[in-house]
Amino acid sequence: MTEKVPSKNLERTVAVIGNPNTGKSTLFTALTGVHSRIGNYPGVTVEKKFGWFEHEGQSIRLVDLPGTYSLSPRTIDEMVSVDVLLGRQPDVGQVDAVVCIVDASNLERNLYVVSQVLDLGLPTVLVLNMWDVALDRGIQIDPVKLGSRLGVPVVPCEAHRRKQIDDVRSAIVRACHSPKTTPPDLFPEAFHEEGRKLQAEFLQFSNQTLPTYLVERLILDVGGQLETELTKPAPEQLITRLKDARERLKAVQFRVPNIEAKLRYGWSRQILNGVMTVPEKRQTTVTDTLDRWLTHKFWGLLVFCLAMFIVFQSISWAAQPLMKFCEFGQKQVGEMVGSLLPFGPFRSLLVDGVIAGVGGILVFLPQICFLFLFIALLEDCGYMARAAFLMDKLMTKVGLSGKSFVPLMSSFACAIPGIMATRTIENRRDRMVTILIAPLMSCSARAPVYWLMVAAFFPSISWAGGWITLHGIMLFVMTFFGAAVAVPIAWLFKKTLFKGETPPFVMELPSYKIPSPRIVLHRVFDRATAFVMRAGTLILATSIVIWSASYFPSDHTEEQKVLAEIRQAESTFATELDQKEQLSREREKFGNGPSGDDQPIAQIDGKISELDERLKPLHDLFDRRNKISEQLLAQSFLGRFGKVIEPVVKPLGWDWRIGVGVLASFPAREVIVATLGTIYSLGGDVDENSQGLQSALQSATWPDGRPVYSIPVAMSIMVFFALCAQCASTLMVIHRETNHWGWAVFTFVYMTALAYIGAWIAYVATGWLMAA
Amino acid sequence: MSSVVSQTLPLELLAAGEHGIVVEIDGSPELVVRLEEMGLHSGVQVYMVQTGSPCILEINHQRYSMRFDDSVTVLVDVSQ
Repeated sequence: MTEKVPSKNLERTVAVIGNPNTGKSTLFTALTGVHSRIGNYPGVTVEKKFGWFEHEGQSIRLVDLPGTYSLSPRTIDEMVSVDVLLGRQPDVGQVDAVVCIVDASNLERNLYVVSQVLDLGLPTVLVLNMWDVALDRGIQIDPVKLGSRLGVPVVPCEAHRRKQIDDVRSAIVRACHSPKTTPPDLFPEAFHEEGRKLQAEFLQFSNQTLPTYLVERLILDVGGQLETELTKPAPEQLITRLKDARERLKAVQFRVPNIEAKLRYGWSRQILNGVMTVPEKRQTTVTDTLDRWLTHKFWGLLVFCLAMFIVFQSISWAAQPLMKFCEFGQKQVGEMVGSLLPFGPFRSLLVDGVIAGVGGILVFLPQICFLFLFIALLEDCGYMARAAFLMDKLMTKVGLSGKSFVPLMSSFACAIPGIMATRTIENRRDRMVTILIAPLMSCSARAPVYWLMVAAFFPSISWAGGWITLHGIMLFVMTFFGAAVAVPIAWLFKKTLFKGETPPFVMELPSYKIPSPRIVLHRVFDRATAFVMRAGTLILATSIVIWSASYFPSDHTEEQKVLAEIRQAESTFATELDQKEQLSREREKFGNGPSGDDQPIAQIDGKISELDERLKPLHDLFDRRNKISEQLLAQSFLGRFGKVIEPVVKPLGWDWRIGVGVLASFPAREVIVATLGTIYSLGGDVDENSQGLQSALQSATWPDGRPVYSIPVAMSIMVFFALCAQCASTLMVIHRETNHWGWAVFTFVYMTALAYIGAWIAYVATGWLMAA
Repeated sequence: MSSVVSQTLPLELLAAGEHGIVVEIDGSPELVVRLEEMGLHSGVQVYMVQTGSPCILEINHQRYSMRFDDSVTVLVDVSQ
């Protein structure tokens, strides 16, 4: 991966590190604004985030490190952080200074990681964030005194209110030009001595000098990531030497690993003594009151269910008008481009391939934004951790812990960040099971499929004055369907593939706060951009491939002739068409009910049929075009291939077009919407009243004239997509996170089998229910 | 240890609203170190906010949700 780095010779690199929930990303955004770039460190899925700013003529590149409680590299995240700080990460290079961000209201614990950072000897800036929270709690800190004791500049700051940000910038710039600091050195000489011995032994075996910091960490971290990584050259000998060193230290009362916490917290207390005063009496906070309700055994669960229901209801309710608007826009663009270009393959590629395909998926952008908005809000206000707490009981039933909940919940947005978030689960078995079931959570890419099917095939019934709609309920059910299936699957995996005890569960519950609009919108923007990028690249490519396969090798001259005739007829009947559109719009105001005795409705219906009579030549032309197009599609590569696979998908109630669509959507689920858009646009199933893909699906028929789509077929498609593993990126992430292709293949096979069986059951069961 | 048995008890036995000072954390080294890094270490005052499994603990205004099992024991002194 290449990084675009502004080409300034004097640019300095500064790493940002701190505990989780200290407002690290808020500070990062406040410092760098929009000038940031997110990627991955090569070979691992640890997020690499760079940002840039310029202050007092100095340009700074900030590297955001994952939130961590300590620098002992026990997980991949922590390993990357240590490598960056030691200058061992080639993508980042040498680090000139470190910004340590701490929660001023919980300084004692936060100083733990600070002491580890100071051990590195790099110029450091300590940012006391959440200064306001500390003041509210009556905590008093003397930053100047603290700074002189630590030997580093200390800057109080309120990142979420953007206060003192310039002070932080100045301190960073000054730190970049400061000499290295002297580490506090909390450990006895005997420990350093063992470190030097071990360093020499490593040199013997691997011919490379390990940094002193890493060797010392190796002694301190029993069973950590370093032990497996660094002892690779000669595992047996090196591990024996390591154990001997620890034994010798034990003899001098230096007990690894417990000694580290003891020494560091002792130091932390010593530093804070006389620098910080905490009020004797604990004040009641908003968090106390909220938690009494939100973590309550009964009320908490009720609020949780209600919150989820409202989220999904409001997505369907709020996004509807926006989506209508987008669809209208898509249609307008299609018509405009279509009218400008002469008939031929190029026009077809643009209108039927690109606009119908990519546009078909882009109309879902409002929903995607709303979904991410809600998830970002829940995360930022601190509720997500409470949800994990509430879910722990449920998760232990299937052998997992509440820790698996947050990755699974984020998988509702997208399985990729979800699977990456499993890195916070230390237990390997739990982590594996969570990774394997994460793709079952209904990600935002499935949502368009549900929205399309539900809007097209379920009647719009509403209750309680329009607040509860059938569409909303169906979306809610489909969204949680995958999660419901995941329960027995997780239980099964835990009983067979990953047998073992449920590990204990510790998780920080951050204080509640009002979500910062900037942070929330930033996250929504990031996700929306990623979605549009995917539509612009992967989905565009698939759309073009699908278009070519369904356009060639047939001869399209006759179709073009008919299309030209239609265009001419449309201009002849322009006034009639206008009138009809106006009437239809008026008719729509009366709802979908039958005309009956209602005078105005009957009048409009009469006028419409009168107009239809006059428009008959045009209708005939459309019919001819549809027949030709259908033949052409059936003769195309795609059509021939579709016919071959039709027997496989027929038990699910699908025609060959759906079958092809599903196959084509292997790289990404949402492609199905684009593919169906292209197929039905080319297939000519779109008549002059078409309101886009929805009505195209409603009017699709089998060769014998029966409609292809019905509620059972819609159900079968939705269930298939709820359970299938149609997402190449997810499989790639599974491969990277498990370090094995086998697990990616396993996930694909088990989910596809589940999807096929599930879709068949859904089709048969819904058909049976509808008949009853 | 035995001399202070009357005043120390496992953390999970505290009632809601009670507090104690952590005297010892026992269990698998990896887990113990994790707890210590997160702020649950000897000498710290811990409040039981909500009992149950998982329970909610509070240390220095910071809340944690925690489920205890056999792999780790946290002993607290409740005499103060």
